[in-house]
Amino acid sequence: MAPNQKAVLEMRDAAKAFGGVQALKGAELTLYPGEIHALLGENGAGKSTLLKALAGVHKIDSGSITLNGKQFEQGSTRAARDQGIAVIYQEPSLFPDLTLAENVFVGRQLQKGKTVDWQGMEKESRKLFEQLGVNLDPTIRARGLSIADQQIVEIAKALSTQATVIVMDEPTAALSSKEVDRLFKVARNLEAQNCAVVFVSHRLDEVFALCSRITVMRDGATVGSAPTSEMNEAKVIKLMVGREISELYPKLEAKLGEVVLKVEDLGLAGQFANINFEVRAGEIVGLAGLVGSGRSEVVRAIFGIDKYDKGSVWLNGKKLKPGNPSAHMVAGMALVPEDRRQQGLFMSSSINKNSAVTMLKRISKLFIVRQKDEGKLASDWGKILQLKYATGHDPVDRLSGGNQQKVVLAKWLATEPKLLIVDEPTRGIDVGTKSEVHRLLSQKAQEGMAIVMVSSELPEVMGMADRILVMREGRMVGEFDRKQATAEKIIAVATGASGK
Amino acid sequence: MKNLIQKTLKVREIPVFLGLLIVVLITGTANPAFFTLSGFQDITLGVAVVATLAVAQTLVIVMKHIDLSVGSTIGFSAYLIGDASSKGHGFWYCMALALGLGLVVGAVNGYLVAYLKLPSLVVTLATLYIVRGLFNEIAGGNTITEDMVPKAINFMGLNTFFGIPYLFLVAVILMLVVGFIMKRLRPARDLYAIGSNLAAAELVGIPVARRVFLAFLATGAVSGLAGAVLLARFNTAAANSGNGLELSVVAACVVGGVAIAGGIGTVYGAVIGAVLLQAITMALGALGVPQFWQLTVNGILLIAAISLDRYLSTRVKPTSIMGTN
Amino acid sequence: MKKFTFGWDHGVTIFLVLTVVLGGFISEYFATIDNLSFVIQDIAEIAIIALAMSYLIIAGEIDLSVASILSLSSATIGFLFRNGTSFEMAIVGGLIVGLLCGLLNGYLVTVIGLPSLAVTIGTLALFRGLCYALLGNEPVNELPENWIVLGYENIPGTFLPWSTIPLVILAAIAWIVLHYTRIGRWTFAIGINAEAAKFSGIPVARMKLGLFAMTGLMSGVAGVVYTLRFASASPDGAVGYELGVIAAVLFGGVSIAGGIGTLWGVLAAVFALGAIRSVLQLIDFSANALLIVSGALLLISVVVPRAIEIAQSRRKSTFVTNK
Repeated sequence: MAPNQKAVLEMRDAAKAFGGVQALKGAELTLYPGEIHALLGENGAGKSTLLKALAGVHKIDSGSITLNGKQFEQGSTRAARDQGIAVIYQEPSLFPDLTLAENVFVGRQLQKGKTVDWQGMEKESRKLFEQLGVNLDPTIRARGLSIADQQIVEIAKALSTQATVIVMDEPTAALSSKEVDRLFKVARNLEAQNCAVVFVSHRLDEVFALCSRITVMRDGATVGSAPTSEMNEAKVIKLMVGREISELYPKLEAKLGEVVLKVEDLGLAGQFANINFEVRAGEIVGLAGLVGSGRSEVVRAIFGIDKYDKGSVWLNGKKLKPGNPSAHMVAGMALVPEDRRQQGLFMSSSINKNSAVTMLKRISKLFIVRQKDEGKLASDWGKILQLKYATGHDPVDRLSGGNQQKVVLAKWLATEPKLLIVDEPTRGIDVGTKSEVHRLLSQKAQEGMAIVMVSSELPEVMGMADRILVMREGRMVGEFDRKQATAEKIIAVATGASGK
Repeated sequence: MKNLIQKTLKVREIPVFLGLLIVVLITGTANPAFFTLSGFQDITLGVAVVATLAVAQTLVIVMKHIDLSVGSTIGFSAYLIGDASSKGHGFWYCMALALGLGLVVGAVNGYLVAYLKLPSLVVTLATLYIVRGLFNEIAGGNTITEDMVPKAINFMGLNTFFGIPYLFLVAVILMLVVGFIMKRLRPARDLYAIGSNLAAAELVGIPVARRVFLAFLATGAVSGLAGAVLLARFNTAAANSGNGLELSVVAACVVGGVAIAGGIGTVYGAVIGAVLLQAITMALGALGVPQFWQLTVNGILLIAAISLDRYLSTRVKPTSIMGTN
Repeated sequence: MKKFTFGWDHGVTIFLVLTVVLGGFISEYFATIDNLSFVIQDIAEIAIIALAMSYLIIAGEIDLSVASILSLSSATIGFLFRNGTSFEMAIVGGLIVGLLCGLLNGYLVTVIGLPSLAVTIGTLALFRGLCYALLGNEPVNELPENWIVLGYENIPGTFLPWSTIPLVILAAIAWIVLHYTRIGRWTFAIGINAEAAKFSGIPVARMKLGLFAMTGLMSGVAGVVYTLRFASASPDGAVGYELGVIAAVLFGGVSIAGGIGTLWGVLAAVFALGAIRSVLQLIDFSANALLIVSGALLLISVVVPRAIEIAQSRRKSTFVTNK
């Protein structure tokens, strides 16, 4: 709170490179005890690398980190914990088969004499949960716990190690508004106990409601840090973006055709409900909303990955059977998924094989896959997408993130889909490739493809989409035409804020 | 009270135990001979070997590993004990030999799985072969006969302690000791953490490789010592001793609620699972069902057990913030 | 053109050649036509099952019940024949039973969602039990002479046993399908990353069900070959074969983690193990030595790739620090 107090943690001029990519360069962070400190920045700004350095996962190449006046011992998660830094990731990693009490004390279970003291652990963790103002039963197993409750267990774990610095990486991303309120209470609680809490979030309204200081990062460097009272939303956004937006999105005008995709009253218990929309040929429809608002779940269901239990999906006037991606593919649908490495690609497999995996039937003759055609398919699309690679036989894990994404696009564009769904199409790829991807999508739309684009980057959605649908907590809560959409309006609807 | 009932039902060992009770009751009603002391002794004596090995196997299965080499180890060890004894060596010398064999096999398995990070299924399948091959090479066509078995071991196999076969007592004591360790000692708790979420276990700084190594070492050691149990049970050992036991052992664990996916299960469950399988075998006999149906029933039981587990685990409802707040 | 890279399957092939050459030096009988005929007969069942098992392990699953399916197929043949069915129809019955067993495994794994390791330990016992249920403890030995000659005689005019025919045909089909068709590509893709496979429009569940069914059917075929070879259908046949099959598949270079392997490597491994066994028998080494050799080769097949991996990552890391 009071800057004249002694800092608990100081990071100075930190740099870190992975291969040729400079993830951190001139990163600075100063934390004081008893404050909630927001760390902001766009995707790829270096926040997560910074957090991982504090967690002991990465070592910085140069620069210094001091903790409580002493040099911070880097590169070991255990050492980081012992020195008083606890990191709570967006997806907590609890032990599902252990009780909550044991989860709090795992690896350093309380002992009575030489044996594990179960009652003691239950008592202590119950105390910690109470201290956090949450009523959780320490004797139940962690399996099936909601993400919000899992976070609480992680926070209790941090408290039990006497952590002085508690880092929360996008903790609210997957929480409902009531759960967010509870987390705020917990964070203020920690603040009152003189912890330094680092709060990473994309929701600016939350940051201004909760945090006392704000640090903004861009391109691996810290570009601004000040008490919240001296900041406002416009200032923060300007610091985060730091460049003019419009030039990035080469959206071409396209003539709208027939309705290609019709989604009627789609619902899946616990995930989303009452989803209705249409997409026409040549149209790009943006699906906006916070992470966890149900966007990815909706497109997964539309493509058939998950079965929905209500409603129907129509493609070109034909009703599709739920839960059958291969049939959807044949019908002319394509999905470029959110998680490139886990869902989009076979990482150890070659570029050729990855590009052709959706096209095997068409490049087969008498059941035999023609390797020549496969290579040609890959190299043709490589040219169109300006893929940078040595040979088509190289495994895709040798490619950069941007080039990997191009392979995913290639394998789906090759099927000449009538409807292309892209989920976070430019996450974690460099600016140059990003605009190439945007140009490509725009061009495909002009050629008559219907496109649904899920994205967490508002400028991207606003730059690319003809129409923007906004989701919140599994519901469709807003629809904007390209001309009337503004960042303020979308954020207001997405966060449920009344627009202050 | 309702809470207590709910809690009890959540304990994974309870349904298996109830299953056991039902089997015993039905069989006993249909054939009162089953309820006699000798009926009880048949089951408990028959299960001693598998129960002992199941206790050891639990250590590795909770870590999401498996040890298929135990059948070869126990057979070899039984032979070594008889062989050494027939050459005039004393009881403790024989047991040291059995322990030594178990430690060597366990150390090889443990090193390859823990430090070279090789899949335990393949590694222990290989040591299953190698140990069996060495065993047969050394044993040749020899058979250990009753007169070659050490006196103490012979005695244990033939006698009872207040009606309870000594061999079953050995298994029960082992179960209680290991059960206590796995509940109460920190390093043993790490095994559950490793099996439940390996990445998280590494993240919180659990010395994963050392724990995995030690668990395989312990499993090997128990399997080696269990050679004495096998020898006591049958009073004989030959090149095929212990053949195929590994699958019965894994089946006993799984039926007893030790999840093959790791992280969950107790030695009590494993032993109850072994007893249940044995009881069913005996029950079929007592009910006049041809003995060959036992394998079929064991197989169905194993599949039913994992299906039930799967069914129950998908029904766990997420505790919502609304419910707990 | 794809550059030639030295793979595990090439190593196994060289190993096979060395075994044969050394075997010829060690025993003059080894490299004779009669012995070759014997070796082929000896490995036929394992080879046929290994073809299907390769697919299954490449797709990231496993089936431990194959030996029991083999035996159940054999027992079905014996049972049907003993009860008056024609031998031809009995064989069809044996094959159908094999297929059904595979479908049951596949159903439990893909529809119910159980782990294949545990499921097939269960069905291992279940199917074996059914063998006894069908035959009791009585093997069926009086099989028609015109059929069982197929089990011990060679194809007229050649030195090849009759079991060569199904083996060659099935191996050729399995090879082409695995390495040159869409089904093969899908099998590898599922083993590398089942989730990505689903997102790529590959019918993952249906494929896996099919692979289990195919493994059951192949075990059934092996059951027919086995019945003819021993001119008998008994309830306790082929016990422990599953481990032999899996050892051969893994030594052949198929990764237990899925996604990696060649059928050539597996076939070379099956033949290499058969050749070693023959050599050991010819020089009066006990069968035990074969167990040890099988185990050692299995260990080598996981240790060596891992050692190379470790060596490479070390080289890489020193390279980085030197930079």
